[in-house]
Amino acid sequence: MYIVKRVLTMFLTLWVIITLTFVIMKCIPGDPFASDADVLPKEVLQNMRAKYNLDKPLPVQYVLYMKNLATFDMGPSIKSETRSVNSIIADGIPASSRLGLQALVIALFFGLLLGIVAALNHNKPLDFAAMLFAIIGISIPSFILAPLLIKYFAVNWHLLPVASWGTWQHTVLPSIALAASPLAVIARFMRSSMLEVMNQNYIKTANAKGLSTMQLVIKHGIRNAILPVITFIGPLFVVLITGTFVIEKIFAIPGLGKYFVDSIFNRDYPVIMGTTIFFSTILVFTLFLIDISYRLIDPRIKLTSGGN
Amino acid sequence: MKKWTWILAVVLLLSSSLAGCSSSGDKKASSSSSNGNTKGVKQEITVNAMSEPPSLDPALATDTTSGWIIDHTFEGLYTKDKDGKPVEGVAKDVQTSADGKTYTFTIKDDAKWSDGSPVTAKDFEFEWKRVLNPQTGSAFAFYLYYIKGAEEYNKGKGPVENVGITAKDDKTLVVELTNPLGYFKELLTMWTFYPVKKELVEGNKNWAANTDGYVSNGPFKLTEWKHDSQVVAEKNENYWGNKDVSLNKITWKMVNDATTYYQMYKTNELDLIQTLPSDVVAQEKSNKEFKNTPYFGTYMYMFNVKKEPFTNAKIRRAFAMAIDREAITKNVTKAGETPAYAFVPPGVKTKDGDFRKDGGKMIKEDPKEAKKLLEEGMAEEGWKELPQVTLLYNTLESNKKISEAVQEMIKKNLGVNIKLANQEWKTYLDTTKQHNFQMARMGWIGVLLDPAVILDYYLGDSPNNRTQWVNPKYDSLIAQAKAEQDPAKHFQLEHEAEKILMEDLPFMPVYHYTNTYLTSSKFNGVVYPMNRYPNLKWTKKVSD
Repeated sequence: MYIVKRVLTMFLTLWVIITLTFVIMKCIPGDPFASDADVLPKEVLQNMRAKYNLDKPLPVQYVLYMKNLATFDMGPSIKSETRSVNSIIADGIPASSRLGLQALVIALFFGLLLGIVAALNHNKPLDFAAMLFAIIGISIPSFILAPLLIKYFAVNWHLLPVASWGTWQHTVLPSIALAASPLAVIARFMRSSMLEVMNQNYIKTANAKGLSTMQLVIKHGIRNAILPVITFIGPLFVVLITGTFVIEKIFAIPGLGKYFVDSIFNRDYPVIMGTTIFFSTILVFTLFLIDISYRLIDPRIKLTSGGN
Repeated sequence: MKKWTWILAVVLLLSSSLAGCSSSGDKKASSSSSNGNTKGVKQEITVNAMSEPPSLDPALATDTTSGWIIDHTFEGLYTKDKDGKPVEGVAKDVQTSADGKTYTFTIKDDAKWSDGSPVTAKDFEFEWKRVLNPQTGSAFAFYLYYIKGAEEYNKGKGPVENVGITAKDDKTLVVELTNPLGYFKELLTMWTFYPVKKELVEGNKNWAANTDGYVSNGPFKLTEWKHDSQVVAEKNENYWGNKDVSLNKITWKMVNDATTYYQMYKTNELDLIQTLPSDVVAQEKSNKEFKNTPYFGTYMYMFNVKKEPFTNAKIRRAFAMAIDREAITKNVTKAGETPAYAFVPPGVKTKDGDFRKDGGKMIKEDPKEAKKLLEEGMAEEGWKELPQVTLLYNTLESNKKISEAVQEMIKKNLGVNIKLANQEWKTYLDTTKQHNFQMARMGWIGVLLDPAVILDYYLGDSPNNRTQWVNPKYDSLIAQAKAEQDPAKHFQLEHEAEKILMEDLPFMPVYHYTNTYLTSSKFNGVVYPMNRYPNLKWTKKVSD
């Protein structure tokens, strides 16, 4: 029952997002066909507007769009004349998601490790070192970190290519640059959560029972401390795999990230809609999965709609 | 939706100089074996297209990136030689009627498509009519308006049968113009006039979307297109002039970030880059691989002649005379731009030299005289105080720097405080189109090397003319110039037109564009046209 309700809410949320985006997008001044070389005769412009249904009243455009969307057709891009929105997303997502997943793995592994080590060495030098590292990771933005990585690893030491896409070597620097900030956030989350858990009575009990530190940390500590981190990695996962504007631009990655931004500058309406729908669908669906996973990890939360 | 990426994007733009991290002279190994023996040298070059080409269909492309690739994969009736002069391409021979209105082109017997089939006059007829077909929605269709019946057909007011493009047989193409056109051959070198293979395009509207169905007739053929990553073209063995082509492969990468592509050049991942990041131009200037070439365009401020205070010609002139263009190009833009004292940029070759040199400077920078003109203008209008002026520009770091310099100069030389305002590009286009500005930035680049293409910008009925300035004499001079067959008279009429423009000054020019390049010394024979990206047809790699 809970799941059915949850799925219905999911679709309602998506519909609200789509509708709002559609309305807001049309409110931005400017025209997809405007340029500094304003040369299109009125008659041709009308033809082009008709091609994208832009000559029709807004409600009609909306209905037509929703109709096409129901068949998973998000229309042609206005800027890239020969490409459809579906193919732009299909072409961009492999690179973006590969980078995102690699970054997520790096961020999770090192973030958790750092957090746990810091917590277990509370207020000792190792803790301070780990947290200093985390602070640096949070405060250096990726557009500073990325050129620094390029300068040393590619230009000075010739270890890796500067940018572009093709081999696994091309993915190393952008993955690191992308992972840095979430890594730091995860480390801090994990540390504070771990500290809290380790002060719980059941830990003391387990300790008194004579469990080894290793068992104590893995069985009781991490399992309980990881919940808040999971809440955080859901949206993080979505943000990472759908591509990020800055990293993809600096490393010339053929991903989806730049379309989130460029489509708005170009007033490429179908692409604005397409990227928004794609992003929000994945986000809403991931949040749903996370909800379910809570209940698997923590038996105290039940799969019922009671309570809220 | 991802609001923070927006903020980051803006910050990124602002801090590009910070991120530049001046990489000091980590120069790659110099080429040693350049003793003419180029056997075994892999004839491949990697260049930077900067972004995904919006369309590789000659009928639909409107931007220089797409045009760059199309220029290598296709060839028109006429093409440019190394010096930029139009010469026969696919055409073997042309005959012009006595009245200069009818052109009869004969097509080369060995002109072939990349699949080996012959290029025919029917391919040209089909393609040009496709460009003009209102259903195609080609933004460059207006370039064909010089052809009889073309404008009517494109605007849906006439039938296709009346268009003066006829393939008499497979090798003969007859083109009728409405009026004689002095630079018709120059016009034919534009990609909008390239042919496409009729049988192929007729059956497949999306033929140019990927490499499978992409058949072309130029020195290179398209072999790979990875969206947002790279385009690859390889030598077209069926090209009639392939003995002049040395390169086997051109790769266009799509690297948009200036610091990144500069570093890729430094690590040999790119062999040629253009538009260097502004913070490295100074340090690269002494590098022998550096090249700075004029670009056929002008950076300017338009005046809205129907908005006070620029309703007054003297006040417009005062503003134009009060800035120091030399200082702007030397200290602000810093990429070798030339100060602009008129509209038409240098680069149009005339009998005695250059159109710009012949015309000379048409604005005298003189703060004292400017101040006097301002006072006279204000007296004419009966103003005690000048109405508040706002200078509008589209949001971009370089525009901001230039307008701040101009603001300072106007304040110093005229004692006038002007305000600055900026808008995001598409919003800006909308605002200026609706004439909601007093003084606004704009740039204009000529697609063809003829002054008329530049001067067209301020024609009374030009949709680009946002100043509301209309001068019938100016319009008629340009119309006469276009129809004039004698080059000397043609340029004379254009000089007269420019004079009128520079007397009325519905705008003030600031500088003429240039482009900066770094080209690896392993290559020779790269040609840098005035209004396109580098042409690699004659390029050869001389060492590994």
